[in-house]
Amino acid sequence: MQQLNPSEISDIIKRRIESLDVHAEAQNEGTIVGVSDGIVRIHGLADAQYGEMIEFPGGLYGMALNLERDSVGVVILGDYEGLSEGMTARCTGRILEVPVGRELLGRVVDALGNPIDGKGPLNASDTAAIEKVAPGVIARQSVDQPVQIGLKSIDSMVPIGRGQRELIIGDRQIGKTAIAVDAIINQRDSGIKCIYVAVGQKMSTIANIVRTLEEHGAMDNTIVVAAGAAMPAPMQFIAPYAGCSMGEFFRDRGEDALIIYDDLTKQAWAYRQISLLLKRPPGREAYPGDVFYLHSRLLERASRVNADYVEQVTNGEVKGKTGSLTALPIIETQAGDISAFVPTNVISITDGQIFLEADRFNAGIRPAMSPGTSVSRVGGSAQVPFMRKISGGIKLALAQYRELAAFSQFASDLDEATRRQLQHGQRVEELMKQDQFKPMSVAEMGVSLFSATEGYLRDVPVDKVLEFEQGLLAYMKSEHAEFMDNVNETGAYNDDVVAEMKQAIEAYKATVSF
Amino acid sequence: MAELATIARPYAKAVFDLAKSDNTLPQWSRMLAFLAVASADPKVRTLLDSPDLSAEEKSSRLADVCGDELNDRARNLVGLLAHNKRLDAIEQIREQFEEHRAEEERVLDVEVITAYELSAEQSEKLRAALQRKFDREVSVTGRVDRDVIGGAVIRAGDTVIDASLRGRLDKLTEALQRN
Repeated sequence: MQQLNPSEISDIIKRRIESLDVHAEAQNEGTIVGVSDGIVRIHGLADAQYGEMIEFPGGLYGMALNLERDSVGVVILGDYEGLSEGMTARCTGRILEVPVGRELLGRVVDALGNPIDGKGPLNASDTAAIEKVAPGVIARQSVDQPVQIGLKSIDSMVPIGRGQRELIIGDRQIGKTAIAVDAIINQRDSGIKCIYVAVGQKMSTIANIVRTLEEHGAMDNTIVVAAGAAMPAPMQFIAPYAGCSMGEFFRDRGEDALIIYDDLTKQAWAYRQISLLLKRPPGREAYPGDVFYLHSRLLERASRVNADYVEQVTNGEVKGKTGSLTALPIIETQAGDISAFVPTNVISITDGQIFLEADRFNAGIRPAMSPGTSVSRVGGSAQVPFMRKISGGIKLALAQYRELAAFSQFASDLDEATRRQLQHGQRVEELMKQDQFKPMSVAEMGVSLFSATEGYLRDVPVDKVLEFEQGLLAYMKSEHAEFMDNVNETGAYNDDVVAEMKQAIEAYKATVSF
Repeated sequence: MAELATIARPYAKAVFDLAKSDNTLPQWSRMLAFLAVASADPKVRTLLDSPDLSAEEKSSRLADVCGDELNDRARNLVGLLAHNKRLDAIEQIREQFEEHRAEEERVLDVEVITAYELSAEQSEKLRAALQRKFDREVSVTGRVDRDVIGGAVIRAGDTVIDASLRGRLDKLTEALQRN
């Protein structure tokens, strides 16, 4: 049976007819001379600009990517099955745009910004071009505020600042997306808007992530841009740029946003496909020559901008506020090979990387971050003092532990100092384990790390460390709630804070035995 | 593979420059048109595509077909095209030559598609308006297509002005279909 849908109410139709702007204007037309795998060659279209939207019969759009003397190469954004040779194509005079704004929060959209979550039209008032030039030197400000990911290992060893680009890299099925999702969940109350861009993933995986975010109440300040594996390659290619424009909307209004590109390997594949079909010369690993620029121009747009820039962009509406867009691109490696083409490119573009190791993952250390190869080049200055002071020794302890552990395998008897260092390392490593979807606050992370660095774990067996931590945090929450709130709010680190923590941990230890 | 239009470009430019310096534009127009028609003929086509014939034979046969229509220079052009294996490009050379000529003489061919035959007065009015818009000497060719329903579609090269009822209806359809 045919059903009327809600947009077919006669009032709405009337309004739409009234608002329709039908005036004749000179347009540039061309004729399709060839269609192949989503690439269309068009004769004519002399006025086409690079990246311009080209309109085809039936409301289908394409993007002009190859401008040649006698023809234009266009990638089709959508179903190209209906197109045939001889059809006409028109210039629209517009560069590809997507809707942006607060209306998108809580929604799932495709790469062109069309809602695909069945919650009705977006009603977004603003649109923005998907390709924009990143802010220049004058507009920028240094990164000095933290983004709390809520994972002990990351926030202590590779802290991330607002406006930073931190790569998450590792093999398949190793917890890359898990870190990203935890990061989004932890922004539930931080005021940072999140954009999750899924490129080339299974739709079922994307649906799972959306459900997880909804369950944890994080979907309300999140936009999901989905270009699934079944979407045409051009959609997968533009999805990150579209998501970035949605994030820039918040950045340019003096707010903070976090964008996750999951993952850029698949975007590079999609771009490789398009480039080869457009007959651009292949280079290393058959990628086109500009695959570095593909990622660098995208990641450059993640930045912290100063108050002047925000004021200028908003025409003085927002004053004295800086904005930021933090990017967490994800790259999938094959068998831990980070020296492949795309991984090396993105490593060199970003401000550090979180490297996940299969061995650690299999050994049960999750998140499987490798402390040796993971770095954050700018985040350190953005850490709150409380975390910076406490987490200083963590990375060192783990590095020394790994070195010693490798050596001590051959030694029969160890001296006391080495043995203690080994035991300390074991406990710290155990403490770095954290369950999925359980982000911790700054105070919680701090107290738990403090107990390790100050040696309170020395008499706790390794397999009881997490149990000890759990008990300690529960104790802190019930007995020292005010202290915890205070630390979360100010992030201050001084003698009083240290004294209170010491006293609390000792009091807790007196009540339990391991 | 380069497109025929790309291949034809330098030939068309050379022929045009030559014709312009000799003041023989109309004559060349005629010769190229004749060549294009002749080489498009299926029988001539088989001859030109034949692998048995040498370039010289092909060019002399094509020149023979055209008979007195070609002057010596045009014959030389055919010889050159045959030698370079570019006889396929004749039609494109003609088209581009005509474009150059239209640009030089500042004339523009405009096709006006309407649902009903235009009256002489309407046609003249349209011509004057288009002349102002394009800043060219405009020659209007009319075509009747019932599909247009009302109004007119004006076509000048790549540029299209769609002021037809059909175009408006299409736009309306699209606007209503958009979610």
